[in-house]
Amino acid sequence: MLAAGCGSNQSITSPVTDPAREIDTLWWAMFAAGMVIFAVVLGLLVLAFVRRRRDDERPETERRAYAVILGGGMVAPVVLLAVLFAFVIRVMPAVSAPKPGSTDLTVEVIGHQWYWEVRYPGTDAVTANEIHLPAHTPVRIVARTADVIHSFWVPRLNRKIDMIPGRSNSIELDVPRTGIYRGQCSEFCGLGHAQMAFEVIVQPPGAFRSWLDHEEQPAATPASGTAAAGQQEFAAASCGDCHAIRGTSAAGHIGPDLTHIGSRNTLAALTIPNTPGDLMQWISNPQGWKPGSRMPGFASLPLSARRALVAYLESLR
Amino acid sequence: MAVESPAPAAAERIGRLDRIWAERPGLSGWITTTDHKRIALLYLATSLAFFAAGGTEALVMRTQLAQPNEHVVGPATYDQLMTMHGVTMIFFFVIPLSIGAFGNYLVPLMIGSRDMAFPRMNALSFWLYLGSGLLVYSSLALGMAPDAGWFNYVPLASRRFSPGLGIDFYALGLILNGVSSTAAAANFLVTIAKLRAPGMSLNRMPLFCYAILATSFSLIFALPPLTADLVFLELDRKLGFKFFDVAHGGDPVLWQHLFWIFGHPEVYIIVLPAFGIATSIIPTFTRRTMVAFPLVAVAELLVAFIGFGVWVHHMFATGLPQMTMVFFAAASLIIVIPSGIQIFAWCMTMVTGRPEFKTPLLFIVGFIVFFVFGGLSGITLAAVPFDQQVTDTYYVVAHFHYVIWGAAVFPLLGGLYYWFPKVTGRMYHERLGQATFWLVFAGTNLTFFPMHIAGMLGMPRRVWTYPSGLDWSAENLVSTIGAFLLTAGLLGMLANLVMSAYTGAPAGPNPFGGATLEWATTSPPPPYNFAVIPRVTSAYASWDDDDRADDRRRLESGELVLETGHETTASTPVDGHLDDVLHMPSESPWPFVLGIAATLGTAFVLTDHYLIAAATAALAAAVLVLWHAGEPAAA
Amino acid sequence: MITAPVPRARPNGWYGMLALVATESALFASLLATYAYLRFHDPHWPPPGIDPPSITAPLVLALVLVAASAPMALAARTARQRTAGPLIAPVALALVVQAAYLAFQIHLYADDLGRFSASGSAYGSIYFTLLAVHHAHVGIGVLLDCWLIARLRGGLTGYRRTAVGAIALYWYFVSLAGLAVTATILTPAW
Ligand code: HEA
Ligand code: HEA
Ligand code: HEC
Ligand code: CUA
Ligand SMILES: [Cu+2]
Repeated sequence: MLAAGCGSNQSITSPVTDPAREIDTLWWAMFAAGMVIFAVVLGLLVLAFVRRRRDDERPETERRAYAVILGGGMVAPVVLLAVLFAFVIRVMPAVSAPKPGSTDLTVEVIGHQWYWEVRYPGTDAVTANEIHLPAHTPVRIVARTADVIHSFWVPRLNRKIDMIPGRSNSIELDVPRTGIYRGQCSEFCGLGHAQMAFEVIVQPPGAFRSWLDHEEQPAATPASGTAAAGQQEFAAASCGDCHAIRGTSAAGHIGPDLTHIGSRNTLAALTIPNTPGDLMQWISNPQGWKPGSRMPGFASLPLSARRALVAYLESLR
Repeated sequence: MAVESPAPAAAERIGRLDRIWAERPGLSGWITTTDHKRIALLYLATSLAFFAAGGTEALVMRTQLAQPNEHVVGPATYDQLMTMHGVTMIFFFVIPLSIGAFGNYLVPLMIGSRDMAFPRMNALSFWLYLGSGLLVYSSLALGMAPDAGWFNYVPLASRRFSPGLGIDFYALGLILNGVSSTAAAANFLVTIAKLRAPGMSLNRMPLFCYAILATSFSLIFALPPLTADLVFLELDRKLGFKFFDVAHGGDPVLWQHLFWIFGHPEVYIIVLPAFGIATSIIPTFTRRTMVAFPLVAVAELLVAFIGFGVWVHHMFATGLPQMTMVFFAAASLIIVIPSGIQIFAWCMTMVTGRPEFKTPLLFIVGFIVFFVFGGLSGITLAAVPFDQQVTDTYYVVAHFHYVIWGAAVFPLLGGLYYWFPKVTGRMYHERLGQATFWLVFAGTNLTFFPMHIAGMLGMPRRVWTYPSGLDWSAENLVSTIGAFLLTAGLLGMLANLVMSAYTGAPAGPNPFGGATLEWATTSPPPPYNFAVIPRVTSAYASWDDDDRADDRRRLESGELVLETGHETTASTPVDGHLDDVLHMPSESPWPFVLGIAATLGTAFVLTDHYLIAAATAALAAAVLVLWHAGEPAAA
Repeated sequence: MITAPVPRARPNGWYGMLALVATESALFASLLATYAYLRFHDPHWPPPGIDPPSITAPLVLALVLVAASAPMALAARTARQRTAGPLIAPVALALVVQAAYLAFQIHLYADDLGRFSASGSAYGSIYFTLLAVHHAHVGIGVLLDCWLIARLRGGLTGYRRTAVGAIALYWYFVSLAGLAVTATILTPAW
């Protein structure tokens, strides 16, 4: 029954990496043992139901009952739990935090209410809600928070790590298969908690390199037309107080970096797809899509100004 | 066991007791009462009202989650409902029902006493509980309910991220509630230690009382960490202290440690009275004594004790050192042993007895099924790497509803049926009772089983909405349907009980042939519980026909009738030898007044009126002096 | 009718106080554990700019408070064993010492508040909270003493006997807790 859900891109039971697979094995082992124990107890209940014969409280019956109680309640658990404990100890290293410097690539993920800031230390690349990774490469993810506690979790790749003020937690992602894996914030962080998802985009190493090179570049300045007007509007509407667009004067740090927003798949932490129409709606009324979002609505801007903004942002590829 | 009409001397004594123990009639009687049974009924009515409130909140949540991208409520409302649901169910429903209502009604009866050790403090506990509940619920009425979840992690709950008053309602309300629970727990400890009937040595004490004893110990030691935590939070929020502020040397993880040092014992506090109810119901309906009585008694105490050493299993994803996690995982696994012993003891008692599956026993069977299932999912959560996958998903929600709803609430529902004849003097409707059991049983599975799957498919908890395309829709829809089925079953049960209270067949003192002392007195019991203080020679006192015949004889002769004052007996704590005759305090308005003063004082702190709050505290001190102005006659 | 024998067990009131003391000790344990937790969390303890506390005055005070339990114990013994003996005098003596202790402590507290604030650092927060909780307990004890003396002036009853024992138990606990609090807040000075 549980296997039925293997299609879901956030399912624990469709692991892609070794650590996730080890946890999955642990789960199925526990599941099988648990079902046996459950069946034993159910069997006793059924026995009580069909038997309905009262034993005298003779010493032999009482002794037999004691044997079942101690056997089932003490001996069997001690044995089974010792096995489980050994299993746990064996799996723990596989999902433990990697040492700094143990991987060639480190990615910093910083939780914000309610989006993910993604940095590639050693480069200028900063993006949001999309974590590009090379396949077949161990990567150390370092998770921190800018405000409240969030939790970084990509079920198919590895266990979750909390993002706690004043601390950083890390995890290794070494993904053998290219693809897009969904992750989601899993520590309650306020109004936007349900809409704080992200994607891990695993590419062939070469493709990843060129993506990173491109991501490092500052934003292209639109030559003319609506997009250029949009850039003016961006400054005029003080979007730059909250957003950074590298290569321009916009250097805010409250909202996501928009330097290459045009090349992202989705908006607002996977809340809506990144199409011009959706972007328009987002700028006009972010609360309508993501109640509680820290971004104010700009429906008061003239339609033309908003159109220009959309054109400008879409041009930032 | 027919009720014999008492001989003249006995009738005269009973008349005298009736006069001595009579309380004021009407509403003012309820306000000033110190009768543990009436206080228990106040607890019962109040906690069921909160149950209905918490359940309604759950139903709204379930409606919102029935389908992806629903818009029944937005996140602001959802988060308040979710928080209020958790807080209500834990602090205002299940603990007050199990300890306040069941414990209060039954413990003095089961140990053959006429009241609790501190009857007025008992009343105070109730009024403080009501005050704290009303205080917290006033926030919902004002539209500013707490919304950071029931474990209320900082910094989300700090003033910076939750500037409204919601969190203050939560923190101050729970401090007040904690005072109430502490007073109740202390009361039970002393009652159980001192007021047991002559002859009831510890090994003859009913297992229900062991459960309440273990619960009370846990409360006494578990609540202070929570209180400290809440005080720190309020100091941070109101006066700018820095307990949880990383920038100034504080640490948000401190909140989590203190919360869960309380929070985990708390879950056993919730389930232990339920164990006690199970061990009351099973012998009655299987017509035999509990198998392995001493093992079960020790197991109940052990569960409470080990429960203090496992809290970190709620924090496996916070990045604590591996060794710490391994230690706490091991401790969490060890808890299986006392739990397993009890499970098998219950099962074997049924196997070797002749079970009669009436409604109360059915609920206990349901309880065993849910407890084993939920316990096993708990074990999977103690396996560190697996927990690090599923923590904060619906898998955890499924786990704890199986254990809380299935293992703690089911026995409470069974207990409501079981003791209904004792409390009302009338029988409930058996067939309807069984039908409601099956509805609730099916509803519970339908509601909470699919949550395991949703969790395994990666659905985080505390989300007000979810997208389609992740295969979570079917599970959620089934959950929602189940929740409504469950509610139908509960309403059926409510209807059964309410109707039966008026139209049920007369029950007589012991309709089920129960083994403990509450069945030795009339239904409902008189204000003084027993016309003569029973003498006890075994743990199944009501099955000892000779002893009970002896009680009737002593009523004739007047031995231990205590008909000259408002009195009960005290015994030595371990052996239960008759030690003293105590004059018990009687009805008083002061607990009620003090309850109001404490609630108002808390409300003034909440709204930053510190001077008025201080004045209220002074008033409360004055009330305390008045309360203690009259002394019970010399002892 | 039966007549009550001389009870062997302690009275309910004493057991009630024992339960209160148990829960209060868990409260102090939580506070002290918080102190230790924050301390090991923070490399600068106390933070720069705050002097470590001075040792002598708090230590002497704590010992004086413990000493005040002696007359309380004397009164409790007299009350419990139902022997003739002074009751009001030892309680009054204890009251004087305890009240003086509280006054001195509040003076020190005010002094500390002048030097650093509770809202400036986690150190200040736990330092002042810990002491304030302790002082509140002493304050309540002083009120209990006053109430007890007022009661005892009206003669001795069983109820008042119980009260003497229970309040004495409270004081043993408060003085021990005071010792633990003092030892803890003095750790940075060692
Ligand atoms: C009534 C309440 C109750 C009870 C009894 C339990 C019982 C147990 N719980 Fe549960 N738990 C909760 C209420 C409860 N829990 C709540 C409310 C939460 C969530 C709080 C929140 O986050 O909001 C929680 C969360 C929770 C977590 C944290 C999950 C997370 O947030 O990541 C963990 C982790 O270890 C856990 C473990 C256990 C264990 C090991 C038991 C054990 O005691 C179970 C033991 C019982 C059995 C195992 C069954 C009977 C035994 C046998 C039949 C013998 C044979 C068995 C074997 C050999 C295995 N629980
Ligand atoms: C005792 C504890 C308890 C109980 C009984 C319940 C009962 C229910 N809970 Fe539970 N729940 C919690 C404790 C409890 N819950 C806690 C602690 C949380 C965590 C909160 C957090 O994350 O902070 C939680 C969270 C929680 C969630 C997750 C929310 C989220 O993460 O977003 C959901 C979702 O479906 C849910 C659903 C339900 C449902 C459908 C019921 C149903 O079983 C309710 C059915 C009951 C009724 C409808 C009431 C009807 C009653 C009457 C009419 C009076 C009856 C009188 C008699 C029977 C005599 N609960
Ligand atoms: C007060 C701060 C603030 C201002 C001003 C602001 N934004 Fe935002 N913006 C945010 C925040 C915060 C987010 C992240 C919202 C979320 O996902 O919850 C965001 C998200 C976005 C996104 C989606 C980014 C992504 O990667 O998903 C776009 C596009 C955007 N803003 C454009 C604009 C434009 C255009 C303006 C000016 C007209 C603007 N913003 C003004 C705070 C602001
Ligand atoms: Cu971020 Cu939940
Ligand atoms: Cu736990």
